[in-house]
Parts: sequence; structure tokens; C-alpha cells
Amino acid sequence: MRLPRLFRTTPFRLTLLFLALFAAAASAFLGYIYVATAGEVNRRADAEISREMESLEAAYRQGGVNALNQAIVERATGERPFLYFLADKSGKRISGSIEASPLDEFKGDGPSWASFKVTETDLDGAEMRNAARGVQERLAGGEVLFVGADVAASEGYVRKIVRALWGAGALVIILGLAGGVLISRNVSRSMQGLVDLVAAVQAGDLHARAKVRGARDEYDELAEGLNDMLDRIERLMGGLRHAGDAIAHDLRSPLTRLRARMEVALIDAENGKGDPVAALETALQDADGVLKTFNAVLAIARLQAAGQAPDQQSFDSSELASDMAELYEASCEDKGLDFKAEITPALTIRGNREFIAQALANILDNAIKYTPSGGAVMLRARRRSSGELEFSVTDTGPGVPDADRARVVQRFVRLENSRSEPGAGLGLSLVQAVAASHGGRLELAEGPGEYDGFGPGLRVALVLPRVE
Amino acid sequence: MRILIIEDDIEAAGAMSHGLTEAGYACVHAADGEAGLTEAGKGGFDVLIVDRMMPKKDGVEVVETLRREGDNTPVLFLSALGEVSDRVVGLKAGADDYLVKPYAFAELIARVEALSRRRETGAVATTLKVGELEMNLINRTVHRAGQEIDLQPREFQLLEFMMRHAGQSVTRTMLLEKVWEYHFDPQTNVIDVHVSRLRSKIDKGFDRAMLQTVRGAGYRLDP
Repeated sequence: MRLPRLFRTTPFRLTLLFLALFAAAASAFLGYIYVATAGEVNRRADAEISREMESLEAAYRQGGVNALNQAIVERATGERPFLYFLADKSGKRISGSIEASPLDEFKGDGPSWASFKVTETDLDGAEMRNAARGVQERLAGGEVLFVGADVAASEGYVRKIVRALWGAGALVIILGLAGGVLISRNVSRSMQGLVDLVAAVQAGDLHARAKVRGARDEYDELAEGLNDMLDRIERLMGGLRHAGDAIAHDLRSPLTRLRARMEVALIDAENGKGDPVAALETALQDADGVLKTFNAVLAIARLQAAGQAPDQQSFDSSELASDMAELYEASCEDKGLDFKAEITPALTIRGNREFIAQALANILDNAIKYTPSGGAVMLRARRRSSGELEFSVTDTGPGVPDADRARVVQRFVRLENSRSEPGAGLGLSLVQAVAASHGGRLELAEGPGEYDGFGPGLRVALVLPRVE
Repeated sequence: MRILIIEDDIEAAGAMSHGLTEAGYACVHAADGEAGLTEAGKGGFDVLIVDRMMPKKDGVEVVETLRREGDNTPVLFLSALGEVSDRVVGLKAGADDYLVKPYAFAELIARVEALSRRRETGAVATTLKVGELEMNLINRTVHRAGQEIDLQPREFQLLEFMMRHAGQSVTRTMLLEKVWEYHFDPQTNVIDVHVSRLRSKIDKGFDRAMLQTVRGAGYRLDP
């Protein structure tokens, strides 16, 4: 049998444990109260009985049995609340307010105390058996004297205390249980949202998010943490799905082309026509192109998945920029482009040298590819006043219209006028991924503007955060 | 020249072995890390080609074990679609060079060739000589047939590398890695531009071109 959910919750179990401890403490506390109050009531009754006994003994010492007998008779008919019984040596009743001593087996060695019941008749004639207490003593002459008192009133008081204590105990347990249920339900309600969220995500709904109640407690923290985690997972999965779609889309055509070429080459070779070697060379080139695309997509996906570039270290990025300038200057001159580099020395940076080099190479590649002969390309590495490092490449090519700037960074996006150029449209996506994985960003802006048929140009900047 | 291929992909190893045999190497294949270590222990290999991911012992362990045992046979480390960290791990373990799968066969041959010859040029030379070409490494001058050639620092480094590997094919990626010391994939023909500049300096005015383009592979400096 399974307990209702509420009773299986951790808070409820903790409450039960706490309650058990609390009940033990309360028992000790109530026990002490009982001893302190009920005990005191009995002690007081006993003290009064002892005093009465002493005053009767005093009468006996002064005037013997007769004086005692007279005192008893006087007192028994008075308003005193005591019970008296006097018997001679042989135990025969001499006088008293009761017919027999309640102590049946009296040995006579010093005072002997007893609790007993007396039967009394109240005003309505109903009999009541009340609790009583008394002491019996053998007097010097051998007579037996008993003094008792009806303690019904004080017994009743004690019983009330005991009842009150039981009541208090029950109250403790009921309130404790109720508190436990309340806390459990409160906690459960806080947890339930998260449990529902996990169930929803497990069922495949990645858009589900935990509700943050704004209490700024640990549940909110947990909910926020879960939401952040889900955001990231969703982003990654989205990225992967996009990458998968993109790979499938972009590799499909070159792979189809590759397959067709090989098939044609095979048919030609079987018929003794064509040049199989040339066909294989073309096929190899196609395969290399496919692999290159695949590599680039994979590198982007890995950078995005890792969030942070691997193998980061401090190095002089000015040197890296100079190396890139030197590497690409020759290509610029070859194409008839005016190349200039302005590099601030000793720009220390923390990052992955190879990825940053690849990013700069991609930017420079683009600039050289899209700037017509006679144009200019400029590489600049400097520290901005904000402390960020900026590596920018400005060209005098046709540029990218404002509306398309966000788009060209996306994977496999190639603008209409660039389709004639080789490339898979991954260059800037990789730069963007490199920037993001270093906590930086990619900025696209207009170049130097239009002049002599050139321009407006494009200014691509890789901005990396300052190094402390 | 004997080569030990430690690679668990039988088909890839077969293709590699076939190509290397065609290129004049004798190949032995071991299908996992432990077999590879046993085979390498027999000695007599000029180059070891070690795959990164293998059953029993992975490539990093194999290379580390070899180096610990004092075996300094040049190792070419292979890894599928590598990240930069893979390369760093391989080189740290003691590998001498690194190649990402899938690779162009010309690239593999060029790197194996470079590794197998590396041992022969152990002595520290102050001058390099390839045919008519002479390079003084102390005062950094280059002469061809007694005629001084003026080179930029990078061109000098490029030529030095080519001269050290004279007669061998060197690929564009190798040049970027060894001369520029970058390991990324240049999208365009940046390296070609530099080589053709160097070529115009050392071959211009001479009736024979020393710096040859090897189709599908890269370049070769002939004596």
C-alpha cells in the first residue's frame, strides 16, 4: 500500500521526526510540572494532617485518654475537615467520626500513612466515595489514634492538572502534525512546479520553464538554475539541429555532384572513353571541398557547444596580427590591392591562438576575395578606450548592405553577388563563434565609403574583452 | 625504409599501407595499441604512424610508453577531425608530427618522408647546400651559383625549410605549420603566393627551376 503523496514527502518525514523529538521533550516538561504541582498538593494535605495529629497528641500528653477523647468529640462535631478515630489497646473503638480505622493491618511502629476512600453523603443524599488520606499512631498508653482528611478537593485539582497535561500533550502532537502537513504542503507546492517541469522536459517539451515566484529563496534559485540550464540545452540543441540541417543541405549538392561524376567516369572508363585519372582528380577535389565544409561546421559547432574556446593562454596578439599581415600582404599585392597594417605593439591577450589566427585569416580572406583590383585592404589591431582589443579589417569592396549584415554571419548564408566566389559561407560564422567563445563579438560596419567606383566597403572587427 | 602503422581501422590501414608501399616504403601493420608496442619493441622502424583512438591502448599511451622506454623513433600521430587540443595532447605525449584524418595522401607521404629523413641531418650545420644553392645560417645570406639573393626574413625561413627537406615534397599545410607556426586551415592560396615570390627570387635568371610544384601535393626543392 502506498501512502498518500503528502506523507511520503521529505518535509513531512522530517516533521514527524521533529515531532517525536518535540513530544519527548514535552513529556519530560509535563512530567516535571506534574511532580511539582500534584506532589505539592499531597504534601500540603499531609502537613495539615500531621499538624492536627500533633495537637491531639499534645492534648493526650496533658490530660490522657479522657482529654483526647473530649478533644476528638469536640473537633469531630466542629467544622474541621478531619476524620478521627480513637481505639483502646485492644482495638475497640472509643470515639471518632468514623466507625473503623481504614488501616486494617496496623503494626504500631511509629506513624503510618495511608490513602483510602471515604464514603460521604452529599446534600442530595447521593453517596460519594472520596479520596482521603490519613495517619495512624499508637499513643504512649497503647491507644490507637487515627487522623485523616478528605482530599477529594485537592485530588480533583491534581486530576485537573493531569488532564490539562494530557491535553497539552495531545495539543502538541496535533499542532505538530498540522504544522508538518502545512510545511510539507508548502514545500511540496514549491517542489511540484520543478517536478512537473522535469516531467515535461523528460516528455520532450524543451520549451517548458519553471515558474520563478520572486520569493528569492532557494526554490527560486533552483528554478532559475534549471531555466538557465534548459535555455542552454535548447540553444545547443537548436544549434545542433541547425548545424545538422545545414550540413545535410550544403553537403547534399556536392556529394550528389561527386557521385554523378564518378558514375559518369565509371561508364566512360568501361567504354574506354574519357580520362579516368582526370575524373578521379576532380572527384578528389570535390571530396576535399565537402570535407572542408564539414570541418568548418564541426569547428563552429564545437566552439558553440563548449561555450569557451579550449587551450586558452596568454600571448602577444600584436605578433599574431603582424604574422597575419605578413601572410596576407603577398596575396593582396598579387591581386593588385593596396595593403596596409596598423598594429599597436604588445597587445597581450588571453585566448586560443589558432582560433584567433583562423578568425583573422577568414576576415582577411573575405576582404581580399571581395575587393576588386585597385582597391585597398587595411588591417588594424588596437586597444579601444574601453580596454577591449579590436582587430579590424577594412576593405573598399562592395560592402554588405545594412539589412544583410546580421544575416551574413549566419551559417551557409551567402549574398547573391558572392555566389560566383568559392566558399561555403562559413567564414564569418566561424569568426562569430571564435569571438563568442572568447567572450567577445563580431562587428560589421560600413567601410570608408564610395569613391572612384569603389566602396562603400566593409569594416569587420573582431572585438575581444580586455585582459585583466 | 620501414614503417609501422598502428591503426585499428583495418581498411584505413590497408589503404595507407598500399599507398606507402607504392611510394617505396615497407609497411608493418598492428591492429591495436598493445600489438603496436610489441611490434615497435622489435625495432628497426624509421617512422611509426600511430592512430589516436584504439582499443586496448590508445595512441597517447603508446607514444608515452615508447618514449619512456627510450625509443625515439619519429612518430606521426593521427586523429580524426582534430581539435587543437588533440594536437597538443599528441605532441605533448612525444609525437613528432600530427595529421588530421581524413588527410590527402600526398600530405601523409610528405610528412612521413620529412620524419624519416629527419634523423639523417642530426648535426648542427652552419651552412646548407642544395645543388647550386648555398645558405649561410650565421650571417643569413643565400647564394645561387655564387650570385647573392636578397631575401626577406620569412622568405629566408621558407627557403631554409625547403633546403632542409630538399628532394622531398612539402605541402602547403606543412609550410604554414613549420615556417609560420600556425595550425589553421588557410581558405585561399596564401602559401602559394609566398612560394611563388620565393621562386621568382631564386629561379629568375637561371635556366633551371629548382623550386618545383608537385601536383596535388605542394612543392619540392630539387638540387
